[in-house]
Amino acid sequence: MRPVHQSPAPWLLVVLLALPFVASNYWLHVAIVVLMNITYTVALCAVLRMGYLSLGHAGFIALGAYTSVVCSVRFGLSPWFGMVAAAALCGVVAWGLGALTLRLRGIYFSLAVFAFGEIVVAIARAFDWLGGPSGIANVPRPSFFGIKLDTHFSFYWLAMALAVLLVTFFARLEQTRFGATLLTLKTEPGERLAESVGVNTAAHKAACFAMSCAAVGAMGAVHSMYLLFVNPQVFSFLMSTDLVIYAMIGGTTGFWGPVLGAGALTALGEQLFSVGYWKTLVYALILMGVILVVPGGLSAVSALWKREMTPRGGR
Amino acid sequence: MSLALFLQALSIGIVNGALYILTALGLTLIYGILHIVNFAHGELYMLGAMLVYLLFVAFEWPLWAAVPVIVLLSVLAGFAVERTIFRRLRGQWLQLLVATVGVSLIVQSVSWIAFGAQEKTVPSVLEGVLLLGTVRIPIERLAAAAIAMLLVALLYLVVYRTRTGLAMRAIEEDEETARMLGVDTDRVAGVSVALGFALAAMGGIFVAPIYSINPGMGLDAILMSFIIIIVGGLGSITGTVLAGFLIGIIQAIGSLALGAEAAHILVFVAMIAMLVFRPQGLMGRVR
Repeated sequence: MRPVHQSPAPWLLVVLLALPFVASNYWLHVAIVVLMNITYTVALCAVLRMGYLSLGHAGFIALGAYTSVVCSVRFGLSPWFGMVAAAALCGVVAWGLGALTLRLRGIYFSLAVFAFGEIVVAIARAFDWLGGPSGIANVPRPSFFGIKLDTHFSFYWLAMALAVLLVTFFARLEQTRFGATLLTLKTEPGERLAESVGVNTAAHKAACFAMSCAAVGAMGAVHSMYLLFVNPQVFSFLMSTDLVIYAMIGGTTGFWGPVLGAGALTALGEQLFSVGYWKTLVYALILMGVILVVPGGLSAVSALWKREMTPRGGR
Repeated sequence: MSLALFLQALSIGIVNGALYILTALGLTLIYGILHIVNFAHGELYMLGAMLVYLLFVAFEWPLWAAVPVIVLLSVLAGFAVERTIFRRLRGQWLQLLVATVGVSLIVQSVSWIAFGAQEKTVPSVLEGVLLLGTVRIPIERLAAAAIAMLLVALLYLVVYRTRTGLAMRAIEEDEETARMLGVDTDRVAGVSVALGFALAAMGGIFVAPIYSINPGMGLDAILMSFIIIIVGGLGSITGTVLAGFLIGIIQAIGSLALGAEAAHILVFVAMIAMLVFRPQGLMGRVR
């Protein structure tokens, strides 16, 4: 097996730091959207790597976004507080849902989380206090030492800082004992083995799911601040499936799979499609092509190529 | 809530439940063979309803010609999807599950592009209302529910009284042993998927005159179906039938008491409660 973690190139950080000084507002917008989607996808992959498919991550993004908006718009609290509250609430809810469903077979988890995602949106739509079908507008943006983040340039730094922080967190997680344990849970024999040496697998899985959802909740809060509004349509099932598509096309292992999958497809989507259904159709067609030809995603292709190049070759 | 109102809600719940069961049963059937839940299932339901609109309303075909054609198409679609996608990915549950999501997204987005976002309606086929004391049930819904129950009985016969049904149950029990004993798993998988697809399409056909039709309706159906099969126990036909009625009734009474959106939440709470107290579902086995 190839190394699980390649060190993310420092030049990537240099590019991210230099970008706002050379890019136009339009490209900064693309960069912000790309960074948000990369964060969501990397967090989703943390759950995928332990062998569980979440089909409702958009529900947690929505929970984070709505929590932060309710804090800032309804209670007049600082957006920073809203962001922390969003992460905390998403983490706790995910831990509870995970504790219930992760001890069952993977399909129960996928179905329950899917239902959860739909219900969050249904709740948001049902109550006028949460904005109802039209959502809540005039979401305030936070200030950083007196500088209000109300331009693309200033907001980019917030989105970028949070994205780098969270992506690094999940990349580092794999190198810890906790992260390594999570990887063993992917297969049933692996899980039994871990249990036999005294690992509390259920607690590990629930904790991993909680971390993933806390991360997307925090980013969801930033998402709502960037959009300046929230409504139920933004966080539809299609958002959950988009994230799964990014992950499956890029490949779920390693650092580059989810990052490139989300990055390339989001940038492409922002460029090509103004109508949602065409975007969904093209994404889904690419997805089917990749799954049927290279089930491991595109990052598996490079691994396959490397293996062909080694003296023993093949499998 | 007065007794009359309660009984009215109960009757709505039972009739709706009977229709939910059709879609959910196909999921159960496919789960038994492939061990994944077919996400594209709701799209068959949507296509069933949409094709009723297209053939019966737009092309003005008679109903006796339109319905068999739709069912035949769904059976063919079942064999085709099993052959081209499910068979290639068997054993890789993650890829398989995501592939069904992919199929669902393709069908849905093509339908939005082809049919547009405008709601479509199919005129009632049967007029009239049945009066049972104070309870009023539209004849059309009653007929749809009755035919749905007839189909469920038919499915029972197929699964428990035919050789193909025996093979299905054998594969569900232990696929490797079944194969060793000469069961053609590929053929049985094809038949199961085709049957499941046909059931979902029929669910769509029955609701076409009852609800308005749009390409997004499959998602609502699949959400309900998932909750039903979790409550009933994955892979259990009897459990699916019981849970379908239960969820239908909870939803109808909840809608009456709390409103339609809040009823959704109530149904979700029922599912969570099931996962807490009896994770294997009403009739599921512990594994």
